[in-house]
Amino acid sequence: MSAQGVNRRLAWALLLWAAVVAACVAQILRTPFTADLSAFLPANPDAQQRVLIEQLESGLPARTLLVAIDGGTPAARAEASRALAGRLRAGGLFEQVQNGQTEGFEKVGSFLFDHRYALSPAVDAQRFTAAGLRDGMGETLSLLGTPAGAALKAIIERDPTGETARIAESLIPSSAPRSEEGVWASRDRSGVGGRALLLAIARAPGADLDAQLKAIAAVREGFAALKAEGLTLQVSGAPVFGVESRAQIEQEVEWLAKAGTLLMAALLLVAFASLPALAVSLLPVATGVLVGVAAVSLVFGGVHGMTLGFGTTLIGEAVDYAIYYLIQARAGGAALWLRTGWPTVRLGLLTSVCGFAALVFSGFPGLQQLGVFSLAGLLGAAAFTRGVMPLLMPDGARGQGLRRLLAQAAAAAVAWLPKLRVPVLILAVAAVALLLQRGQLWSAELSSLSPVRKDLLDLDASLRADLSAGDARTLAVVSGADLEATLRKAEAAAQQLDTLVDRGLIGGYDTVARWLPSQQTQAARRAALPAPDALRAALQDAAAGGPLPAARLAPFLADVEEARAAKPVTLAQLRQAGLSPLLDALLLQRKDGSWVALLPLQPAPGKAQAPDTAAVRQALALVDGAQVLEIGAELTRLYARYLSEAQTQAVLGALGVVVLVALALRSTCRVLAVCEPLALSVLLTMGTLAALNVQLGILHLVGLLLVVAVGSNYALFFDMLRHQGQTAAEVDADTLASLVLANLTTVLSFGLIAGSSIPALAAIGTVVAIGALLALLLSAAFARPRVGPPGAG
Amino acid sequence: MKTRLVEALLAACLLSAGSSAWALNLAEVTALLAKNKSGEARFTEERFVSNIDGPLRAAGTLSFEAPDRFTRTTTEPRGEAMEVQGNTLVLKRGGRTRQMTVDAIPELSALIEAVRGTLTGNAVLLDKFFKTQVDGNAARWTLTLVPRDARLATQVRELKITGLQSEMRSVELWLAGGDRSVMAIEPLQPLQALPARPAK
Repeated sequence: MSAQGVNRRLAWALLLWAAVVAACVAQILRTPFTADLSAFLPANPDAQQRVLIEQLESGLPARTLLVAIDGGTPAARAEASRALAGRLRAGGLFEQVQNGQTEGFEKVGSFLFDHRYALSPAVDAQRFTAAGLRDGMGETLSLLGTPAGAALKAIIERDPTGETARIAESLIPSSAPRSEEGVWASRDRSGVGGRALLLAIARAPGADLDAQLKAIAAVREGFAALKAEGLTLQVSGAPVFGVESRAQIEQEVEWLAKAGTLLMAALLLVAFASLPALAVSLLPVATGVLVGVAAVSLVFGGVHGMTLGFGTTLIGEAVDYAIYYLIQARAGGAALWLRTGWPTVRLGLLTSVCGFAALVFSGFPGLQQLGVFSLAGLLGAAAFTRGVMPLLMPDGARGQGLRRLLAQAAAAAVAWLPKLRVPVLILAVAAVALLLQRGQLWSAELSSLSPVRKDLLDLDASLRADLSAGDARTLAVVSGADLEATLRKAEAAAQQLDTLVDRGLIGGYDTVARWLPSQQTQAARRAALPAPDALRAALQDAAAGGPLPAARLAPFLADVEEARAAKPVTLAQLRQAGLSPLLDALLLQRKDGSWVALLPLQPAPGKAQAPDTAAVRQALALVDGAQVLEIGAELTRLYARYLSEAQTQAVLGALGVVVLVALALRSTCRVLAVCEPLALSVLLTMGTLAALNVQLGILHLVGLLLVVAVGSNYALFFDMLRHQGQTAAEVDADTLASLVLANLTTVLSFGLIAGSSIPALAAIGTVVAIGALLALLLSAAFARPRVGPPGAG
Repeated sequence: MKTRLVEALLAACLLSAGSSAWALNLAEVTALLAKNKSGEARFTEERFVSNIDGPLRAAGTLSFEAPDRFTRTTTEPRGEAMEVQGNTLVLKRGGRTRQMTVDAIPELSALIEAVRGTLTGNAVLLDKFFKTQVDGNAARWTLTLVPRDARLATQVRELKITGLQSEMRSVELWLAGGDRSVMAIEPLQPLQALPARPAK
């Protein structure tokens, strides 16, 4: 090929490459980057999971801040709680700030009073017969002369049957925070001082992390402005997790990218002692990252920060291609490399692709993104190596660097490593024993994926325990095509739940239908209100001889008459009355217009544990489409499903690798020789983790798959060396050096990730760093004798 | 005002459950009362309410089990029950059951502790929520409780509990508005675990 021809091809190759890069950059520039928790939620939820995810993503909890004020005296804390709540209410960022103050509830109280004949569950036709009236009045009278009586007495002439009291009674929460000095406070905790508690519900949706960040800052600034000495503030809740995770991911991604690049550059400088070689070897990596991000953006419409964090591992893999080429091409130029080296690199690429392809079929958007990113990235990097590198640097890297030393060390190691076969096999047996003995090897906790720090989770748990309300772990869920259908189902479910409350199986439950009965129920109640004459007659009868003469009850007759003509209570009305946060906690509208009503269940008295779900399920079986959702159990189930899915995928991925190797080598013997060190590496890696008491999760599994995918490159290399045994010892040493170098980049880049404080990344990093190193060492140790002690100097 | 009503409602039910006893000074009365580990009693109650032709009458049974459990079951004029255990209150009226948290409502809390403090002879608890005064002697004593909490004081003026030895025999409750209730207590056979003896 003439020099001119080469130049022309180089020009075309560079042009094509530039076009690809430009297209990728253009795509990336209009890509939204996210860093929320969505990556850990399932992509195809079933009906129960859907409710759960709706709650996590957009429900009230997603925009509710838990605020604690610690230190000082109860009075000082209460004072600070009131002052802070006042500021936040005035600030406008929050829809509602609750701190246990009952001031300001009058509006809600008078709303309930005004609509008592639409809202009271006692209203039916029987209620307004003489017997019904007598019974209702009797119940009211039974409270007079007690502390509760004062409030009832004030309205007895308008509400002698106590409908307001009935509504109030139905709304009493069965579990509620302790009240101290007029505000919410923690219960006694041994060894810890008291704290005042607030709930601040932001207006902005939970997914708007910038707005949530602002809301959190408003709380902190509001507290700082109080200059409350001796008091400290703590803020928790889903918005804090979201904001913290994002900040953490952003920070880590930046740090990992910088550290990874620096480390690679240093390593490459040591290896090549040549800046041009360094620059050229980073090009496949850069290309791969660009292609990977652009591909994720195209497929998913956005890129998660975690995916970028993972990008640094891609650096470790993609840089290998450059290293292989630059070193191996020295011996016989690009043309020879394309014949001898490239097929091995290509096979290694295909096995890696096999491994990452398994991720694409995962149920987690986060892992799917990693899969697509890695696939596209590796293919991009390999394509660059194959297409452009030979033209850019036809003779490989010029510099020698410390590679000779590396090669010598590697050669010595390769000669010595086979001695380790017996100890390794013994260790492998020990690992099998350890793994078999370790019953709970796989942990099924979704939280193991979450980047939220343990101390933040602990704080959150303690605040939720203190608040004791609003965080029911078990919910009954009904949904309907429209609001009315949903409310009717909620009423039907409530009827069943009432029997459970009476039987003491659950402590109580909340339902939106107490505030907003279905139109059907309201109409029935309205229809039950008798005409004035009939009511007057019944009342005369009922009050005769009692302590409350009918003559005093004219206001009651007037109110009932008014209620007969009243318009029904509507959702809009309730929102106007300031009840939005309450409604949003119990009622959701989906994007498709359908509605979901949540009925949180409280455990029965004396049972701190979750309610008896079997009984609840049985009771709700009578209600069409009603479901029981146990949040903790549901999350565990969700994760267990993904874990078992991932296990299947990992096995398939590993099988794919083996099949590829078999197809390439076409020899059972060689395939077994390649698989042996890989299997041992996986075994020893798992054994190491088990010995360190690490519970294995989905991401460890993913890591093991990558060990197989990446490690197969090393095993194949030794297989190739064996079959080209006649190669000069010098070349062997340099090739060995390229292998060691490639392995070092992988181990170091995954090692970096292993140090990440994001559990998901750390898990993958730990496994691959250990596994990849083992794969190289064991590939050398179990290589067949052809690669005996080469010219080690 | 209606939310108050919720609280008041609870407080009320509660209150009517009171029963306890006293002697020469708080320590001695509580020592007497502390002998009771459990007990059952009948009660009759009369409530005097302004503007209502009265008195309003009720009757039923009380039972108590140390350290923190007691119930008041009303049989006349209508069946009702109130059970307190630890921090949980369960109300049963008109075939309905409602559970609630005691310490979420400070007034309710104070009244419950008045009852529990008296029943178990817990002077510290009583003193935390009330200004106390003891009159009479071990044979017949009166314990007067005046709420310390300002919010409770707007509803309850004072509680007057009388007793014979370690037996609580009546509870009189004066509400802030002038209404009042008097509960007479008649112990059933095994009122206390230990026989009542005169204080030293």
